[in-house]
Amino acid sequence: MKIQLRHAVNAGVIFGIITIFLFLIGFTGTAADLFSDLFRNKNAASFLGLNPQMLNMLIFLGLIGVWAGAYGSRKSKSQTDDPWGAALIGGLTAGLVDGLLVSCLALLVGTLNLRGVRINVYLSEVLPDAIKLFLVGKSPLQGATVYFVWLTLTGLLGGLLSRGLGRGSWRARSGAAWNNILGKISQQSIVKQVRGSRNTRYVVYGILLLLVFLLPLRAGPYWNYTIGSVGIYVLLGLGLNIVVGLAGLLDLGYVAFFAIGAYTMALLTAPQPHHLMWSFWIALPIGVLLAALTGLLLGAPVLRMRGDYLAIVTLGFGEIIRILSKSDALTPFTGGPSGVKAIGFPTLFGKPFNSGVDFVYLIFLAVLLIIFVTNRLQNSRVGRAWEAMREDETVSRAMGINTLTQKLLAFAIGAAFAGLGGALFASRNVFTGPEDHNLMVSINVVAVVIVGGMGNIPGVIAGALVLKGLPEVLRQLQDYRVLVFGALLVVMMLWRPAGLIPSSRRKMEVGKDTGVIETPEGGRGK
Amino acid sequence: MPNIKPPARRVTTYKIVQGIIGVVFAGYLIWRLFVVFIANPSYGPDTWARFAIAGLILGSVYALVAIGYTLVYGILRMINFAHGDIMMIGAFGGYFVFEALKSIPTPTLADPELTFLNAHPALSVIAAFIVGVSIAALSGYFLEKIAYRPLRGAPRLVPLISAIGASIFLENAAQLLFGAQRRDYANPVVLTRGEGWGIPIGGSNVILTYTGALTVVISTLLMIALYLLVMRTRLGRSMRAVSENKQVAALMGIDVDGVISRTFIISGALAGAAGVMWGIHLGLVYHFVGFIPGIKAFTAAVLGGIGNIPGAMMGGLFLGLVESMGPAVLGINFQLKDVIAFCILVLVLIFRPTGIMGEVLTEEKV
Repeated sequence: MKIQLRHAVNAGVIFGIITIFLFLIGFTGTAADLFSDLFRNKNAASFLGLNPQMLNMLIFLGLIGVWAGAYGSRKSKSQTDDPWGAALIGGLTAGLVDGLLVSCLALLVGTLNLRGVRINVYLSEVLPDAIKLFLVGKSPLQGATVYFVWLTLTGLLGGLLSRGLGRGSWRARSGAAWNNILGKISQQSIVKQVRGSRNTRYVVYGILLLLVFLLPLRAGPYWNYTIGSVGIYVLLGLGLNIVVGLAGLLDLGYVAFFAIGAYTMALLTAPQPHHLMWSFWIALPIGVLLAALTGLLLGAPVLRMRGDYLAIVTLGFGEIIRILSKSDALTPFTGGPSGVKAIGFPTLFGKPFNSGVDFVYLIFLAVLLIIFVTNRLQNSRVGRAWEAMREDETVSRAMGINTLTQKLLAFAIGAAFAGLGGALFASRNVFTGPEDHNLMVSINVVAVVIVGGMGNIPGVIAGALVLKGLPEVLRQLQDYRVLVFGALLVVMMLWRPAGLIPSSRRKMEVGKDTGVIETPEGGRGK
Repeated sequence: MPNIKPPARRVTTYKIVQGIIGVVFAGYLIWRLFVVFIANPSYGPDTWARFAIAGLILGSVYALVAIGYTLVYGILRMINFAHGDIMMIGAFGGYFVFEALKSIPTPTLADPELTFLNAHPALSVIAAFIVGVSIAALSGYFLEKIAYRPLRGAPRLVPLISAIGASIFLENAAQLLFGAQRRDYANPVVLTRGEGWGIPIGGSNVILTYTGALTVVISTLLMIALYLLVMRTRLGRSMRAVSENKQVAALMGIDVDGVISRTFIISGALAGAAGVMWGIHLGLVYHFVGFIPGIKAFTAAVLGGIGNIPGAMMGGLFLGLVESMGPAVLGINFQLKDVIAFCILVLVLIFRPTGIMGEVLTEEKV
């Protein structure tokens, strides 16, 4: 019996590096805090003679160790006929290598710290407290030993656990598992009923709507603000969904249209710098139209080019808008770096909409409107033309679609939605400035659309809830939000390019069953 | 024999608009040139020389980064969005080498406080380049392996989104690792920023800084080396073959994946060198340092015709010059110099999407 240990060693190295990276960005401490909040295991910790944070950090690192062991053993076990031995030895090796790397780090960091080197001058998260926590309050050598033993043990455990799992690539298997879950949900009699009969569907929608409309009354001002932000991201996501998801044009400067909507609202309704003080209801359509017009103007030269130029040009355009709104040259017109204050709020039938709850309802109304419009568009001739164009431009042109007009239409409608979102955002916050419109907004929206599911309305809503709402619930993770967005974009592309909840049509096109792209060997991308 | 007429040239609205924009833009440019140089010369020749020198130095950095975009685009037909961040990684590599060498004392009789950095400046700079270049090359290799290779053959949008994700990830990882503050590059005393040879032009002394001269010399050498590599070596030949047609290249016995990996290593190395030079010359590193130069270098690559290596070099130099002289010529605020680069990108795409030097790939191939 010969077991190839190469995979196990690789797995150990990969997970060791991941663990070291997590420590260097200060995530181990954060995870420990998070676990302390979740488990409330103070008693267990004092029983073991540890402080709860240390225990929880060890639990967190142990979980990574288990994963490493499972990964390592699964990789090595496919080559032998002795699965138990392979699983054990694979897990053990992965754990050993992982533990070795992490204990080297503990030794190095601990010794440097003892010598009085201030590591946090260079690696800003490696503070003396973090080092103390990482060494479990012990000396560097003891700390290193703890990690070596602990990670080896957890690796072994992972190897044993993985014995129960089947073979195959994790990408295909996890994709299949997720599809299985989605499939099971859609097989449920209730869901079938909802899908099948129009009346039941309306009743369910009605109940959902009622719940959503009652929610702001119960939630406090903070949660209302958060719900409003999620709603605005749903708006933006649905707009970008038309551009990216349906028409297949990657727009990275989406924030530019958002900014145009926000600044139009701000400059037309605020007392400074122009003293126009127009009504909200006049400024709103102007903002939407201006955003759509800018979309047309920007799109006209660029959309006839190859798709990937569009990404860079729109990115540059987003930056231009931000630089312009910040620059001294336009300060008399846009308020410059200090932004615009005291933006007007809407009044309806004499009732001012200026409290948090009112704005949540306003945003809800806008979201409902946009969902309606998107839904109608998607199932219309225009929507079908967009999707055909996304799949194959040449063929769609041969089918008689004027691709340039359709692209421009998609771009302008997406821009108009962003303008609406921006106008609502500015009015709700009563203030808008250049820093509200940085690149991160565009990236957040792209992440919402891609994680949720391109070309799919429930997917986009789910994406906005997960990416915008979840970080508010888990506030400790706030610092790592953008990092995770970046990683998520890569992982989603590797794992499920069609998104978490792929649209049915899209699923048929992108991957036959699993949602994973079949890559023909040596095939060339179109 | 039937008389075949050539098809009538269609005059579309777009062409008319294009013409109008072209005339307006050219007219404005000529008018501004006339104002700045003849009617109301607000800057003397010394100032223009300063602008030109600054532009050439900046341009040579852009050129190096642009070559990376062009190489990868030529082979994979994708924009390596994270390329600017690889440059940032290289800059950080050089920064840490300088910091480490600064802390090694090498006392002499004349100067007991002397550090290794100042005792052996040439060695230190070489070490910084070696480390910066190797770290950047390694990151390029792993970037391709993790984020792009599994997506080979997927629809075009998929690797592009993956690249954007990788770029965001790298930027934020650097921010979390090293903090958000801007760090000063600790140059050796010989290479103090702002010091250099004085050249008397128009009655005043125009300074050609040592760091700037170093940047231009090194990037020129690297570009020559790269050109020789692509044109004269076996690897270069296989790179060109793969960029022509992957399947045929594979049939000819070329290891396509290996060539792609090496392309990423080479482009990463060039970006790393650019990053170290950026740090030495401009003196600041932070997690976002590669973002704007990355976009501008992409503009330079498009300007020179993407996929065209000499084009990327020319495009980089041109963009550097335009950026440093543009605000003065157009009479706009210097804060808006970044806007000029983006406007050039849009203008190039309107008027000559194949770039100034002509694109190596035709539309059919893409």
